[in-house]
Amino acid sequence: MLPSSNLILQSVLDGVFLGFLYSLMALGLSLVFGVMGIINFAHGDFIMLGSYLVWILANSLRSDPSLMSVITVPLFFTIGAAIYVAIIRPVLGKEPLIQIAVTVGVGYVLQNLALMMFRAEPRAVQISYLNFYVNLGLVSVHTAKLTSALLSLFIVLGVHYLLTKTWVGLAIRATAYDKEIASLMGINVGKIFLLVFGLGISLTGLAASLWMTFGQADPYIGSSFGLLTWVIIALGGLGGVSGLLASSIIVGVIQSLTMTLVSPSVSLAIPYIVFIIVLWFRPQGLFGKG
Amino acid sequence: MRARISSFVLPALIVVVAGATVPFLVGFNQYYVLLALQSVIIASIALAWNIIGGYAGQLDLASFAYVGLGGILATTLMTEYNITPWVGMFLGAGVSATLAFFIGYPLFRFGVKGVWYALSTAALVVILHEVSIMVLGSFDYYIPFVEGWYYLRFRTWENLYYFSLIILAFVISLNLYISRSKVGYYLKAIREDEVAAEAVGIDIRKYKLLALMTYASILGFIGYIYIVSQRTFSYKTFDSSLSVYIAIIGIVGGLGSVSGTFTAALILKVVEEYLRGYLGGVLPGLHLLLFGVLLITVGILRPEGLSTLTDALVKKVKARIWGGAP
Repeated sequence: MLPSSNLILQSVLDGVFLGFLYSLMALGLSLVFGVMGIINFAHGDFIMLGSYLVWILANSLRSDPSLMSVITVPLFFTIGAAIYVAIIRPVLGKEPLIQIAVTVGVGYVLQNLALMMFRAEPRAVQISYLNFYVNLGLVSVHTAKLTSALLSLFIVLGVHYLLTKTWVGLAIRATAYDKEIASLMGINVGKIFLLVFGLGISLTGLAASLWMTFGQADPYIGSSFGLLTWVIIALGGLGGVSGLLASSIIVGVIQSLTMTLVSPSVSLAIPYIVFIIVLWFRPQGLFGKG
Repeated sequence: MRARISSFVLPALIVVVAGATVPFLVGFNQYYVLLALQSVIIASIALAWNIIGGYAGQLDLASFAYVGLGGILATTLMTEYNITPWVGMFLGAGVSATLAFFIGYPLFRFGVKGVWYALSTAALVVILHEVSIMVLGSFDYYIPFVEGWYYLRFRTWENLYYFSLIILAFVISLNLYISRSKVGYYLKAIREDEVAAEAVGIDIRKYKLLALMTYASILGFIGYIYIVSQRTFSYKTFDSSLSVYIAIIGIVGGLGSVSGTFTAALILKVVEEYLRGYLGGVLPGLHLLLFGVLLITVGILRPEGLSTLTDALVKKVKARIWGGAP
């Protein structure tokens, strides 16, 4: 039996919403990789850590998960800055394999910390102000998903604005372009790196708050988000907000359609197969410039 | 030539002879023999990883894709068609090497390296994990109890342990052989600087693929032993976390160091077992958390890993044996 066209339409719409949230998740990773050249394998695990934190906060404060971003964003900026100083700065300029290894270690610590503290069962926040559907005839819209998609888009565009239209953004882009010349021009590269890494991690705190308005936390979502966000960067190429958004939405829609048409159990396999094949033929990404 | 052969066979023989005494030392206590078996399996996998990760410098995170594929194939052939694992293990090695070829050929052909190579291999484990949920279903398969050398399954663990020691000896010799051969120098040149290696005329694609397929075939071969030692297999055999764990052993041991990797594998396995035995019920995952911390520490403070310590020890032992300065 073929699924109805309504079901497919619904699935595409959910995929698009999910895609916008993915773009927010990938934004921090893209910044850290693009500006600092740091390969952060623990990015997804910060989203996982944030999700648990939001779960605890929202349940104990009896409030909506998205409001918890007021706490998670500054907290994660601090955590990010601390991790940068303690772990990332010492391996700057070392061979990529060592950098990857160190961040794999961070991810491994976070994942097993979560396993130790919360066990493997998935946790969801029960209280949500936006946990209802609006029926639009052909499709119904889950308000929490819609809100998280819109907020994600807003933040992605905001960060894009910050990078392209402000002095700090100019300094960040100059550092990304050539950190030696940037430092000769009087830019404090160390501070920019601290800022970018802190910002990258604080964005995971924000993404986690939005994720928890409809999603669940378990110790392994970090691995999936980590790989998925890397897939998005591989497809999108670096440097463009349009590439990031387009590839996020492609990944979101592929994943959502796979869940509807094939099976939820292979919802990651299909995007990863696409990823590997794209790597073969377009190492610069689908939307990256040659 | 004799000295050359002994230089890579002798260390393996020493490990086998020393390892063979373990069951006697522990009084054939099955818990300890099984632990020794699992340590030898992990050490063999980590040393196979050393070929692609240590010598060729490619951060491969897919070890349990190959272990799982080869192992599940050999186990299924045995349980469904009564084909002996003596054949099945070689078929498993062949299938894993074939998978490695189809993954590695395009990756290396199109110049995928560094982080993208690591991600592709991490994705491979997840792909196999999810596909196998569809193929095998989401439950555990227990191997029906059959006994004897035909099935490589026994009432007690000693025989399988001795058999795994032979595999370990083979992997150690192969590592030492590679490290002293032309291929080994090519691989290390690729690890240090791919562009320079290519510029001096090394066919980097060919040698990376060779390293990957060698690694994968060893893993595919060991797969059956791994599954028998676990007593069960399922989609969970394609384990991302364990695949990362193997890379951690390789890095903590020191890239390209046989003695370092071997030592790291044994130490981490014993620490893991100790922590799991004493705190596993209270704090699951504590050992993995500590290994993560260890990996960060090694990465920041001692990128050469345990190798400097163990290499010095090996030199001392060599000097003892040969009776002169090494």
